[in-house]
Amino acid sequence: MSLIEHLTKRLLLMIPMAIGITLLLFIMTHIVPSNPLAVILTEKSMEDKNAVQAATEKWGLDKPLPEQYLIYINNLLHGDLGTSFKTKNPVSLDIKTFLPATVELSIGSFIFAILLGLPLGIISAVKSGKFIDQFTRIVSLLGASMPPFWSGLLVLFVFYYKLGWAPGPGRINSRITAPVPVTGLMVFDSISQGNMPALWSALSHLILPSIILGWFTLALVARITRSSMLEILSQDFIRTARAKGLPERMVVLRHAFRNALIPLVTLVGLAFAGLMSGAIMTETIFSWPGIGRYAVEAAANLDYPAITGTTLMIAIIYMLVNIFVDALYSIIDPRIREG
Amino acid sequence: MKLNRVFSYLVLVVLLAGMLAACAPAATPTPAAPAATQAPAQPAATAAPAATVAPTAVPATEAPTAAPAATNGNTLVIAMNIDDVVTLDPAYAGETTNLFIHINTYDTLVDIRPGDLNTIVPRLAEKWDVNSDFTEFTFHLRKDAKFASGNPVTAADVVFSWNRLLNVAGAPAFNLDGVGKVEAVDDYTVKVSTSVDKATGKAQPLPQFLASASNPSLGIQDSKLVKQHGGTDAADAKTTDKAKEWMDQNSAGSGPFILTKWAPKAEIDLVANKNYFKGAPKFDKVVITHVSDPTTKLQMLQKGDADMIDSLSTDLVDTAKADPNVQVSVDQSLDENYLAMAYACPDAIKAKDPAKFATLQSPDSFAIICKKEVRQAIALGIDYEGITKAVLNGYGARAPSIIPIGILGVDPTKTQGRDVAKAKALLATAGYPNGATIDLYYASNSTRDTVAAKIKSDLAEIGLTVNLKPLEQSVYLTQMRAQQLPMAFGGWTPDYLDVTMWSDYFGLGDRSIAFRMRFDNKAAHDLAVTIRTTSDPAIRKDATEKLQAIFIEEMPFTMLYQVQYVHAFSKDLKGFAFHPVWFVDLFSLSK
Repeated sequence: MSLIEHLTKRLLLMIPMAIGITLLLFIMTHIVPSNPLAVILTEKSMEDKNAVQAATEKWGLDKPLPEQYLIYINNLLHGDLGTSFKTKNPVSLDIKTFLPATVELSIGSFIFAILLGLPLGIISAVKSGKFIDQFTRIVSLLGASMPPFWSGLLVLFVFYYKLGWAPGPGRINSRITAPVPVTGLMVFDSISQGNMPALWSALSHLILPSIILGWFTLALVARITRSSMLEILSQDFIRTARAKGLPERMVVLRHAFRNALIPLVTLVGLAFAGLMSGAIMTETIFSWPGIGRYAVEAAANLDYPAITGTTLMIAIIYMLVNIFVDALYSIIDPRIREG
Repeated sequence: MKLNRVFSYLVLVVLLAGMLAACAPAATPTPAAPAATQAPAQPAATAAPAATVAPTAVPATEAPTAAPAATNGNTLVIAMNIDDVVTLDPAYAGETTNLFIHINTYDTLVDIRPGDLNTIVPRLAEKWDVNSDFTEFTFHLRKDAKFASGNPVTAADVVFSWNRLLNVAGAPAFNLDGVGKVEAVDDYTVKVSTSVDKATGKAQPLPQFLASASNPSLGIQDSKLVKQHGGTDAADAKTTDKAKEWMDQNSAGSGPFILTKWAPKAEIDLVANKNYFKGAPKFDKVVITHVSDPTTKLQMLQKGDADMIDSLSTDLVDTAKADPNVQVSVDQSLDENYLAMAYACPDAIKAKDPAKFATLQSPDSFAIICKKEVRQAIALGIDYEGITKAVLNGYGARAPSIIPIGILGVDPTKTQGRDVAKAKALLATAGYPNGATIDLYYASNSTRDTVAAKIKSDLAEIGLTVNLKPLEQSVYLTQMRAQQLPMAFGGWTPDYLDVTMWSDYFGLGDRSIAFRMRFDNKAAHDLAVTIRTTSDPAIRKDATEKLQAIFIEEMPFTMLYQVQYVHAFSKDLKGFAFHPVWFVDLFSLSK
């Protein structure tokens, strides 16, 4: 029961935190010495005094800043994130348009990072100092140090252009009929509409960008798994377990790995939120229409509503992941729940 | 230890973990789910306005094409940058890509074809009459043209389209600046009258109107179809027009192709309009897919995943030329880059408007650069060939003034190159024999950073020290528009092909760039007005030549380069012809 109570309290606390974030964002974006009309209007309609006047009134730019902020908060509490200066669409609609591509890519990258990072980390702890450990170290080092705008182009060049093993940029082959966007998750939509060529194409298009985006997370997961496994494998209870004659597999997976999970969960949770917040470089290189590109463009254009909307969304994702991770702790480690 | 078994267990565990992560979005009641879905779902679920808009994200028209068909043999795939598109409704859209999409989905009344940029030819209008003082334009429409919907193209559609454009007052409305009234004389005749000048009570001449009528934004919309989807041309269309959401995903034109899908920043799909009045297009479908990285674009072309790309980065031209499967075409654009220099001195600015004077960035630089000789010296001090080599690998040209090559009256032989000795002498005449220091402001990006660094080193050779002041685009635009910058970089792309596109914006002291750089010159102003108000090509040509001479003498703007684009497409693609405003007519392409 206390877990549910605790979670409810945490969820409610998110509201003032979110409002605090909007205030901070509002102040930060309005400090910049720039005129948002430059984005709202085209180069040539800036000439037209009537157009300038009309736009100023329409977007409420003539009102004092505190009033503008209160209007924004009031709209926000009614679920209205405002209208983007640049796209002239409701920000919520823009997020709905661009977020699914990012969600799909994040899930792909996350699966890649966990699928490879955990085993690599465990094996390099067990076989510490051996070849596999060195190999993992190199893979991790490359992942952590290669910028995606370079590694992305490199894998495209090798696996798409030279070898032809992977498809090119984009979410799906242009010559294939894409599924009708219902959820916006192309893999999911293809399955639900029974569109097998699209499913295959969408899955294959996910491979390279997932590897590039997930590589850094993989490095983190592998290294942290290795170090916490090493720490735990040297402890007394492991020696006891071995002394009892337990098979090594049981010792590593049941006794050691479970205990090594705790620091990992925090890391993996935050890494997933990080992936979700959009990866501008990966999205640009692979022509991925995600929220990262949208957010960066919003910042460059000083599109206040879009900046605030996307940042708020990312902040909420982080907060939710944090709560989720906390809840997960108590499941992994009962001592925390009791304490 | 049996590592194999350990490993297979691990793979299983991890797969399960992965599936859990993948499935999480489906479940909602557990605290596990929010991590992935709550945030995106929240705005949509709670936002009232979003709820009404959301359904349009799934265009109903897509259903017929959504059958899991495999590849389509007769599809043209274009890999290009379509990041700029924010809407595909011609009444609202004002970005570069829109011009390309609109000219292929809507028909204009008149046309300017690639190859001859100074001649206006018929499109939906068979012929037209213009009165002697250029205040009335009468268009006679061809009677066989039909919209893709099957509705005939009539005068009422022209009236609706242009009134809608004017009344929703979106980005492209400026194309109808100076137009007072659009009326249908009969089913196939449209009369356009220019607006009346309040001071004189006379209709204003608008000789450039035919050229601006060829702008893709002035394409004719199917009034019945647009009205069906909430469109209106009423005076209050600004608030009552509701067709944009539908027009973002569908076209309502008579052009060679029909818009069927727009996935923002990802893809635009067109299908052939079999009813097109010039005949059915050669391609059944055109897919325009967003790719921004130049190397990747070329790779897609080489692999056959794309048939055409928008423009080739100049450092890749040799790679493209070496590939037997790729054709390359070098085309002169009208896209210009220039260096603007303030024309008014700080004392004059202070006397006229002390408040504005206080906002000037680098008033000391204003005091130096407002001297004619300094501006001339700067223009002579820049190594233009070097700049073209550095940023365009030599794929660029240069006009003698801001009015580009290709426009009537422009004489490329008048172009001045670099002359360091003369530049030094001019600086000495201006009173700076030992040099001076000025600030150059620009919106920073990699190209402009390179050009700015080059200008700094070039001008150091004539004794001028240039301080580079790179700014964020939005900050730069704000300051330039507020007349605060002594020296600035700019780019200019025409919306229609008439000399007024330059003479107005650079020659009239109260307009656009001339205003921002305080270029208020009586003689230039008078010539620009002559060009605006005269129909006679001989007089216009003469005025353009004289205006060009003033630009060269006063040097408020020095042309840095006029870009040449290198286009690349597959070897079996025929009929490519570049147009400097709207890229390419897809109807002329075939395989």
